Amino acid sequence: MSSWKPLDKMTILSHYYPRIEGPEKVSGIARYTYDLQLPGMLYGGILTSNVAAGKIVKVDTTRAKQVPGVRVVLTDIHPTGTIRFAGEEIAAVAATTPQALEEALRNISVEIEKNAFVVSTEDAMKPTAPRVFADRENVRKPRVREEGDVEDAFRKADVVVEAEFRTATQVHACLEVHGSVVHWEGDELIIYDSTQAVHGVRKDVASFLDISPRKVRTVCVHMGGGFGSKLRGGRYTAIAAKLAKAANAPVKLMLTRRQDFESVGNRPDSIQKIKIGATKDGRLIAMDAVSYGSGGISGGARVRLPHVYKIPNWRYVHHDVYTNAGPARPFRAPGSPQAAFSMDQLMDMVAEKLNMDPLELRLKNDPNPTRQKEWRLGAQKIGWQNRNRKPGSDAGPVKRGIGMAASVWMTGGRDTKAMLRIYPDGHVEVRCGTQDIGTGTRTYVASVTAEELGIPLKKVIPLIGDSDYPYSGASGGSTTAPSVAPAIKNTADKAREALTELISDKLGVDADEIQWKNNSIRVQNKTLSWEEACAFIEDEPIEVHGKWTEGLSSAGVAGVQFAQVAVDTETGQIQVERVVAVHDCGLILNRLTTESQINGGIIQGISYALLEERWMDPTTGTMVNANFQNYKIVGSRETPEIEVILYDEAERGVIGIGEPPTIPTAGAIANAVYNAIGVRLFTLPMTPDRVLEALSQQRS
Amino acid sequence: MFPAPFEYHRANSLEEALELLARFEGDAKLLAGGHSLIPTMKLRLNTPAHVIDIRNIPGFAEIRRSGDQLIIGGGTPHAAIEKSAEVQRSASALAHAAAVIGDPQVRNMGTIGGSLAHAEPAADYPAAVLAYDAQIVAVSAEGERTIPAGEFFVDLFTTALEEGEIIKEIRFPVDGDTVRSAYLKFPHPASRFAVVGCAVRLTMDGNTCTDARVAFTGVAATAFRDEGVEQDLIGKTLDDAAIKAAAQQAAENDELEFMEDHFASEAYRKHLAKVYAERAICTALGR
Repeated sequence: MSSWKPLDKMTILSHYYPRIEGPEKVSGIARYTYDLQLPGMLYGGILTSNVAAGKIVKVDTTRAKQVPGVRVVLTDIHPTGTIRFAGEEIAAVAATTPQALEEALRNISVEIEKNAFVVSTEDAMKPTAPRVFADRENVRKPRVREEGDVEDAFRKADVVVEAEFRTATQVHACLEVHGSVVHWEGDELIIYDSTQAVHGVRKDVASFLDISPRKVRTVCVHMGGGFGSKLRGGRYTAIAAKLAKAANAPVKLMLTRRQDFESVGNRPDSIQKIKIGATKDGRLIAMDAVSYGSGGISGGARVRLPHVYKIPNWRYVHHDVYTNAGPARPFRAPGSPQAAFSMDQLMDMVAEKLNMDPLELRLKNDPNPTRQKEWRLGAQKIGWQNRNRKPGSDAGPVKRGIGMAASVWMTGGRDTKAMLRIYPDGHVEVRCGTQDIGTGTRTYVASVTAEELGIPLKKVIPLIGDSDYPYSGASGGSTTAPSVAPAIKNTADKAREALTELISDKLGVDADEIQWKNNSIRVQNKTLSWEEACAFIEDEPIEVHGKWTEGLSSAGVAGVQFAQVAVDTETGQIQVERVVAVHDCGLILNRLTTESQINGGIIQGISYALLEERWMDPTTGTMVNANFQNYKIVGSRETPEIEVILYDEAERGVIGIGEPPTIPTAGAIANAVYNAIGVRLFTLPMTPDRVLEALSQQRS
Repeated sequence: MFPAPFEYHRANSLEEALELLARFEGDAKLLAGGHSLIPTMKLRLNTPAHVIDIRNIPGFAEIRRSGDQLIIGGGTPHAAIEKSAEVQRSASALAHAAAVIGDPQVRNMGTIGGSLAHAEPAADYPAAVLAYDAQIVAVSAEGERTIPAGEFFVDLFTTALEEGEIIKEIRFPVDGDTVRSAYLKFPHPASRFAVVGCAVRLTMDGNTCTDARVAFTGVAATAFRDEGVEQDLIGKTLDDAAIKAAAQQAAENDELEFMEDHFASEAYRKHLAKVYAERAICTALGR
């Protein structure tokens, strides 16, 4: 087993340093898939269904083909001809200009034999609801998990709290829509894709097109957001490839914003009915939970219950519900923000019933030793002792409160390979088939190399985002850092060995007489600089291959967040004023990008808590707010003061932090709202009218 | 998204613009700031064969004072109104309304004439224009006419303007020493349009209100003056209780065609109208 050098010996890792491609990104030089222009490139687009259910009867492309500039029209792109949600692909066009493309798509006439449809989860659960799949019921067979004796535990409970929670469907809403630029070189397909998985796209698109993955190469240099929605190859990429083949020209096919909102993923909604039992000294002993949720035509709506607290007896029954809406995809900590919203509110409800400090209740029931420390740190930082002791007791219409919630995430590292070359001028090139989805991967590919070889960061050229590079998996599940960083370290270690061997050969000394100090090499009483050492390399660069190894990473992180809100009880507006976040992720590769990940998770969490909700029109079956004019995401104006406290556990090695920070935010805000106004919000997002409705129910 | 093909014309005078409008007989649209027109053209809700650009007409974006009137040219951008010392001095509520429209880009491009002619039910100006009893001066090939603000807004996206007319200017009475005015809104979190916007213009004799204009936008199909609130203010000494009582009258007129959407129900809009009436009155009075 290998290990990282001690923290006090590290000169780059675990420090604050800017991301390598930062200047490119802020100056607009960075080219995303959306920006690419290839010579002779055509513009591709897809006509998607605006009908939620039906059978394609006829697609007439006569007029579309007559639009000047149109090169290809395809109508055989839907696999079955049966439409199950608004947003399914019907036809595709490639044209010389975006204008001609739009005109042609507008001139395709489609005849669909419409079927009855259902777009709301609750409606779909009714026995009379139209079936999404003819051969299956909308409510799927429940999945039951159970531990201990739930009924017996409830009999022994001194207090029981019970509530029903609802969370809305959230769309990924990546700033860069899904899409690809493709071109064929003979029978080889090159895909520039906005993706979280260059190797995965190669495999999936090869399979869609029934060609060998050997013939497919995927490139993604910069990408504008994925959050789990870009983990697989897209059908749109295969469609682009077919258009490009037929036109014998490169094709750029980016989805429209509406298509991106409707067709390529979401975080499913949830209806959670949960009952908790505790003893009078504040030990949780029982949970009984039932949930329903819809991932549209897919599953994936399960909530990660029972969340972080130790409950010896629990039962959780989940039902996925089919609706005529776009399929779910993994979305930054799937199932977890939903669980923190319900369970951390139930914790506060139990505490209130026991007349116990919610912090104390958590310390009693949280089995994680790291989080025990994080709770105390966060409470101190936010000023938990100064909170409203009596919820809603502030004078005046604007009332303030503080609340907290917990985070947990369990994944670690896995197979990743890398290749490294040292050139005679001292430059080091590292190739790894991972990709940077905005988390700072490219930067730590360079910094791990620089740290291990004892050279400046600028000597290292990190090359990632290409399926021709050694294998690495998808950037998902917060697995990237614990997968990639160990592989890079292993490869850099091998490079150092190879350089040592070369010097030993050239100077005719034993390898063990060559000693590596920081930034220099001692041999025969002489000190060689890195450049002098590399000068021994002649024509052929040193080339080594390395891979992920045990001992450099681990799995499982904790985390807590505290939110302070101000609620205007006249308008119902919630303003998040401050968030304190305490998170751990083992050895922190880069404090700056780690803090950015946590900031981003919290911002997305606030958005989920207060704003984001997909609205489906029950009469047309389409999404009403499939645009940023009506689907609001938190921007800089709504972003509060965020204080990040990084809890170091360097001895555990590298662990991912992409997902955990978005988990507790909505739960912490909900508890803060209760602390502010004395009324609990059970539905996400906590919009002003819902706040007012809750307040008026309390009055009556 | 691209608009349908159209022919672009640049008018260098109001006369030229009117002549072009007459020539194309209803198949032309006027382009001022373009912030409402261009999106509707891109969505193909509007497919005019001709677009007449009136942004470069000399003198069309002027703000001037004439006696006790403040006259604002139809082509004046929101940012110019927001920043004008003259508007801030003599029509505070109008300056407040201009300052909260959209974002800086919108305010730099969009114009008051364009916004009023578009008659978006959640736009900010209509409330201010009503609270001032402003006069909208429309010009056509036949000459000029003045439309009182109270008659201007007919329905959703529908005004009293006739085919072939252009808003030349809007005339506001200036706030005298005894007048207190303000505009406040609750913006939609995404679009920044008014979920509820309230303009008030109060004439005060000491602490007693001798005249009141209270107008709302965003609440109903058109902006409207709320006489319920106004009548409850006039003649009263405006202490906290009187203001609160008057504000409770807001949006109680059942003949209003209330707006409702996913973000804000009818009941929520009515509630906000009362809250914003109170807040706008307090802001106007400097409380």
